[in-house]
Amino acid sequence: MNRLSRIAPLLLTLALLATVPSVSPAAPKNDGRPDGGALAYGEYGRPATLDPITSNEMISLRISELVFNGLVGIDEKQVIVPELAERWETSKDGRTYTFFLRKDVRWHPREGEAPKPFTADDVIFTYNIMMHPKTITPLKVRYEFIDKVEKADDATVRFTLKRPILNALAKFSFKIIPAHGPANPQFLTREDPFVRAPIGTGPYVVKGVTGDREIVLMANEDYFKGRAHINKFVSRPFADQNIMTQAMMFNAIDMLVLVNPRDLPELQGDTRFVLQPYNALSYAFFGYTLRNPLLADKRVRRAFTHAVNRQEMLDSFFNGQGTIISGPFAPGSWAYNLDVHLKGIGVGVKVEFKEWQAWKEAVFVEHDFDVILASWVFDDSADISSLFHSAEIGAWKNNFGGYSNPEVDGLIVESKLTLDHEKRRTINRKLHTLLADEAPYTFLWTLTNYSGYHKKLRRVAIHPYKFFSFADEWFIPVTEQK
Amino acid sequence: MAARELALTALLLLGVSLVVFVILNLSPGDPFSVLLEGQAPGHAARASVHEALGVPTTWYGRYLAWLGNIARGNLGTSIRTGVPVAGEIARAGPNTLYLTLGSLLVTLLLAVPVALYSASRAAGALARGLRLAVYLVSAVPVFWLGYVVIYLFIHRFGVFPLLSGSAEPARHGWLYGLLPIVVLGVANGTVSEVTRHLRGELGRVLTEDYIRTARAKGAPVWRHAFKEGFLLPMTEMIASKIPFVIGGAIIVEQVFNWPGLGRMVWQAAQDRDFPVIMGIALVAAAFVRLASLLRAVIYAGVNPRTATD
Amino acid sequence: MRRYRESTGEVAERSERSRWRAATLTDRAAIGYGLLVVGLVAVSYVLGAVGWLPDDPSRMDMARLNAPPGAGHLLGTDFLGRDILSRLIVGIQAYFLPGLLAVAISLALGITGAPAIASIIAGKIQFLRQKSFIEAAHVLGLPTRVIVAKHILWYNCAPLLIIQATLGMGEAILVETSLSYLGFGVQEPTASWGNMVQAGANYFFHGKFWPSTAPALAILGTILGFHLLGDGLNRLLEPKSAS
Repeated sequence: MNRLSRIAPLLLTLALLATVPSVSPAAPKNDGRPDGGALAYGEYGRPATLDPITSNEMISLRISELVFNGLVGIDEKQVIVPELAERWETSKDGRTYTFFLRKDVRWHPREGEAPKPFTADDVIFTYNIMMHPKTITPLKVRYEFIDKVEKADDATVRFTLKRPILNALAKFSFKIIPAHGPANPQFLTREDPFVRAPIGTGPYVVKGVTGDREIVLMANEDYFKGRAHINKFVSRPFADQNIMTQAMMFNAIDMLVLVNPRDLPELQGDTRFVLQPYNALSYAFFGYTLRNPLLADKRVRRAFTHAVNRQEMLDSFFNGQGTIISGPFAPGSWAYNLDVHLKGIGVGVKVEFKEWQAWKEAVFVEHDFDVILASWVFDDSADISSLFHSAEIGAWKNNFGGYSNPEVDGLIVESKLTLDHEKRRTINRKLHTLLADEAPYTFLWTLTNYSGYHKKLRRVAIHPYKFFSFADEWFIPVTEQK
Repeated sequence: MAARELALTALLLLGVSLVVFVILNLSPGDPFSVLLEGQAPGHAARASVHEALGVPTTWYGRYLAWLGNIARGNLGTSIRTGVPVAGEIARAGPNTLYLTLGSLLVTLLLAVPVALYSASRAAGALARGLRLAVYLVSAVPVFWLGYVVIYLFIHRFGVFPLLSGSAEPARHGWLYGLLPIVVLGVANGTVSEVTRHLRGELGRVLTEDYIRTARAKGAPVWRHAFKEGFLLPMTEMIASKIPFVIGGAIIVEQVFNWPGLGRMVWQAAQDRDFPVIMGIALVAAAFVRLASLLRAVIYAGVNPRTATD
Repeated sequence: MRRYRESTGEVAERSERSRWRAATLTDRAAIGYGLLVVGLVAVSYVLGAVGWLPDDPSRMDMARLNAPPGAGHLLGTDFLGRDILSRLIVGIQAYFLPGLLAVAISLALGITGAPAIASIIAGKIQFLRQKSFIEAAHVLGLPTRVIVAKHILWYNCAPLLIIQATLGMGEAILVETSLSYLGFGVQEPTASWGNMVQAGANYFFHGKFWPSTAPALAILGTILGFHLLGDGLNRLLEPKSAS
């Protein structure tokens, strides 16, 4: 499988042979790397829930990446690869997607129960519970393009789309939960016991929460891609980021999923640790409200953009860990256009902070600001450009600056409707240039995220958004397992 | 008497809950928006959250619904995690109780000897020095002291002194559990006042007529002085300082990663998770009230006539 | 000798000057330091209110982040290169008026019966009512109201009120700085001593102690000043060596 692309093809075949037979018991990866050891990683805060549907923050998302699988996965090169579905077919009109499921996948067993097999019913169950009006999940809006889902047989499901869309396949990476999981099979709320003690198909099994509120995960002996190498993952919550970094320095934890930029120099100088960059799809910007007549003049906004010395700010605040950008398409996304590159001259900028809830009210409801400093963070499937569409003006809508330009509106709609990658890239480049010229935002930078970890961890590949997607391949050499 | 106190307590708790609820509703932010955090905000989605959860639209509707649950002995569930609030409080509460009572003990261990010593030897240089020291430590901001102590442990003793941060049970690991207690006990800002009050009352009592009489008769003075000069001001101080110790606990729990109510309420306050905040506020208010009832009981015990007045 | 035993209030009428002379050197030093702190705080409050500051408290000096005290920035700079001294002065705005208001309200409530101070005073009234001198006043025919107001409240509680006022100010500083430290009080970029300690603490483990220690010392010195002033005045107004 493509996920293992870095290692020799011979080993790859062996691994496949070992895992494909449907009744094979606990299958090791047989890739010559040792099993064993434990990894404790630090998180700032505690996850709200542990299931992939009601959870909506990064801490939960990272854990559900260890516990669950989607129909398809995305490998280290951002290529879509089979996961719970071993293959798929797309109809000619692009409206029907048929997934052929693996038959050798079993759900994590509950205490005293035999593991149940994964079937098409689970896929249909997941889709239905996700779209139920009483289930509150941020996923819902992303799957409104699906018209219906049917079960052809126990190992085949067919999705019908309302209309063909670009990159539809990637959206089928949503995590599947078991039909026998939630106590309430109709809809999922945060009061359901399932959200705290979920079972999935993934490489790690949720074992429980300790008195210190650590979440303990153990390797799933029965994982269909082969047992993960590291025996145990522990997610340790911290209430103070500075203390969390110190915990890392003192080996109380082995990994920080996101090193605070100001702490980078401390870890950088230490040979015990590895700092690994991963590019999140995010960008910081100054957003202007066009309700202010002064700022409605694009020359003023452009003057602002020129006045801001972005490199200096980036260097000072974030130790230069990022890339200056000129438009909404971040580097790492193919749409990035390097042609328009703006250079600032040093003028001080006053940065304001507001408590988060208050900030959102001021920005999205009261529009009580002239300029805001903020950043957008996107997952794989986000639609960036609609932020500037005039239909997005209003309370709790994304175009908080009230930017309105018919030409931009037109390009956004055009880009959304096209199914041709090349054509879409051209439109986006045009959009990018136009927005850089119009400057409804001053695009500042995208930050490079760094994970820091003890060098005993090997073969660490990190997904830029979901983080632990490849964690089953990580390992710790026997001599360092303690 | 007891019924009246109980009714008063209930009234007090009701008042506290109302005030907290109103403050929460006045502060910006919709508590239910946490459920859609991570999704770009949308008005329709927001409205549908309220509808799906069946949340009353007015603030007093929400308050009455909450009150109705309380009347049935149900503290509700956290909006963010869906966990019953009562269970969470029962889990985290003992940790905070241990922290606050422990640090109160530390405060008294510091304050009482100094007060006793300087009450008996008011003019001594040592007494003055001790008093100044006590004033100095109790003016130290606890949030800063926590960092200083952790820094010292790391760089002087080469250990990371946090219980929940140690990969495996360290040698003398239980000692680390005492660290936040000592830090909070020293720097909750009340040591100086406890000392001053105790010393003042003790000094006053020691000059009272009956003590003088007792002293003149050659009877042991301390037993007489104990009740009025020591027990009363002690309970007085404990009762009135508990809110400050609780407040300090919120900070110390952040820094020392202590899994208690302080961390819970801090997170809940950021999310506007009102069932959690209200639940913890109630427990804290009840705790404070309990302390002042205890004070009243001790007062009545020492001076039975106050009880009948 | 206790004042409440002089029915004519001789001791209470002793001149302030003679009391000051009777005070020990320590008490004088304590009161002196306390007055100095109060004076500094009051003057700084006014300076901050009219904006007469050594530097603009929001101006960032990118070349000097987390700088130690030195020329140009007398007390150094914070993580954004802002002048710490100016921010300390401006930070007084965060607690000065709210603190005064809180103390005034709690004193007012204290007479009529509400938490903290009130409970102390109420406890004291309860306690004193049992005392022989009050009973004697009753026997002499003084109305209860007068006894409570004059003999209990004023003679016994005046020192208490003054102490409570100074301690209350100390508590107000404690509360404000704690709230701001936790991120629920004054928000950046407005300076408050609490959020200054918080922001500085992010660099504490990097060995940059100063940006958090400077406001922490300001808090320490100020609370200490209020406490020492209260204590000193207490002993000045209630001298034990009178007999």
